[in-house]
Amino acid sequence: MSAEAFQRRPSSFSRRGRLLFALLLAALLSWISLGLSLEDLVPREGGRSILALFMEGALNPAFDYEAASVPEGTPPLLVKVAGAAANTLLFAIAGMSLSLIIGLVLGFLGSTSWWAAEGAVSPLGRGPLRKLMPLLYAGVRALIALMRSVHELLWAILFLAAFGLNNFSAVIAIAIPYGGTLAKVFSELLDECPRESARNLRAIGAGPIQVFLWGLLPRAIGDMSAYSFYRFECAVRSSAILGFFGYPTLGYFLRLSAENVHYREVWTYLYALIVIVIVLELWSTKLRARMVIR
Amino acid sequence: MTTRLETLYKARPKNRLVRASVYTLSFLTLVTWSSGTIMPGDLFTSRRLENLERFLTSDIIPYPIRESGFEWGVLWTWMSELFLDRGLDAALATLAISVLAIVLAMLLSWLFAPLAAGNLATRRPFDATPGNDTVLWRALRFTVRAVMILLRSIPEYVLAFLLLAVLGPNHAWPAVLALALHNSGILGRLGAETIENLEPAPLRTLTALGAPRRSVLVAGVFPIALGRYLLYFFYRFETCIREATVLGMLGVVSLGFYISDARGKMFYDEMLFLILLGAGIVLLSDLLSATARRYLRAAS
Repeated sequence: MSAEAFQRRPSSFSRRGRLLFALLLAALLSWISLGLSLEDLVPREGGRSILALFMEGALNPAFDYEAASVPEGTPPLLVKVAGAAANTLLFAIAGMSLSLIIGLVLGFLGSTSWWAAEGAVSPLGRGPLRKLMPLLYAGVRALIALMRSVHELLWAILFLAAFGLNNFSAVIAIAIPYGGTLAKVFSELLDECPRESARNLRAIGAGPIQVFLWGLLPRAIGDMSAYSFYRFECAVRSSAILGFFGYPTLGYFLRLSAENVHYREVWTYLYALIVIVIVLELWSTKLRARMVIR
Repeated sequence: MTTRLETLYKARPKNRLVRASVYTLSFLTLVTWSSGTIMPGDLFTSRRLENLERFLTSDIIPYPIRESGFEWGVLWTWMSELFLDRGLDAALATLAISVLAIVLAMLLSWLFAPLAAGNLATRRPFDATPGNDTVLWRALRFTVRAVMILLRSIPEYVLAFLLLAVLGPNHAWPAVLALALHNSGILGRLGAETIENLEPAPLRTLTALGAPRRSVLVAGVFPIALGRYLLYFFYRFETCIREATVLGMLGVVSLGFYISDARGKMFYDEMLFLILLGAGIVLLSDLLSATARRYLRAAS
């Protein structure tokens, strides 16, 4: 290590140190402004009995309904759980498949690969329309920002107000913010990947779509798939939560059971969700190790 | 030429897992769209289209404008009144909830990460000789990892919903704790991965010189891993703000509370305004965290 580098180090650490200090200070200010007290962390009488029931349920999840009698024709609890879990996956998969399309199209349009001096790979061709490119680019970036800055649950209540309850609007509620996030990450990945092959293809006369498909995409696709799979995990959680707004996913039944103080049933639904998420996470860790080329 | 292409094609890297995953996911997608549960056509029935028309042409138009016969001049007064009356306070509360939660998550993850890292949580840290990894250490790492995976697999929203029942609704703890717990599971995992990817040589030197585990941790691991870790930290901070907005819908006073309040009263104009305000805060926090990340990159 050179003397110069050695001298630089302490200052670089103190820069991080300053940031950490600022964070801790901000947290303290937040604490004060929210008026939180440590006493409130100790549950009161009612809360304590609920906590006890909840903890009991964790070790002893329900395999049958807790209510003494259920209406005639109610399916067994485990069938209901399986159905809710299947619906959770259905909504997540449908949302992801739409958001992948959105993400690919917008990510492609929103990447600066088009603008680089060597590129001149404009999707609007070389004609007079080319002048509109900066406008198109700015429009796409703004659209991406708007899509992802509104949470999926807020999209969901917007669509509930606009269309009323139907399954497809839950799917778009997932697809819009996820599509925006995928577009942002895809465009960054496309911009970061090496450009030689794209440039060479361009030099031998390939069109913009061909350059994208054979020059850029293959270099970024490993990272893109790995990230998409990670988002799929998140989509499953989002889809479960959408149940809180009346869609037939795990959240719906979980909420009902919790409101009836049937915490053993709550845990059955929770375990179903946890198992799905863990399986997906293990799968994606295995996949990532194979796909991301380092 | 053709034979050369064929040889190249045959020699392409193949992987069973990747292939099986592609088939499985395509199959599941096909099943999903043909199951009949999700029908795009549902959106375009005449009743829904009528609903949509009413929503767009009347519901979301700010009411003073509707009342005054589309006099757009009053828009500004309406917006600033709404903003000063509840928007600002709610926005600040949302920010406070997420800052406190993410810092708590950070502190928790500093506890988890060193205990879950495969190169640190062993008999002798950063030692690659066989026999270093004992059953007890392995059990410890497994337990910590299990706790973290449990924490991050339960969504914040569900955690907050359950904590609300236990802690009561009159304060922000349920939202803060839900966000902190969920994110500690994520940050803990990322922190453990960061430690595992550290260059072992300088740390091994420290151990060889006789430094105890805590010194290696404080003087070696922490300063070296901090830069990378903080990058992850700010990524999570962005999501934390988004989630803090939404958690209000359960009854904690953040933006979501007023959003769901407006929704309950069917004041969709107000609801839309508050949602857009939330989007503004998210964009602002993205900017903030991007700046912080740039500041950090410049430091390393």
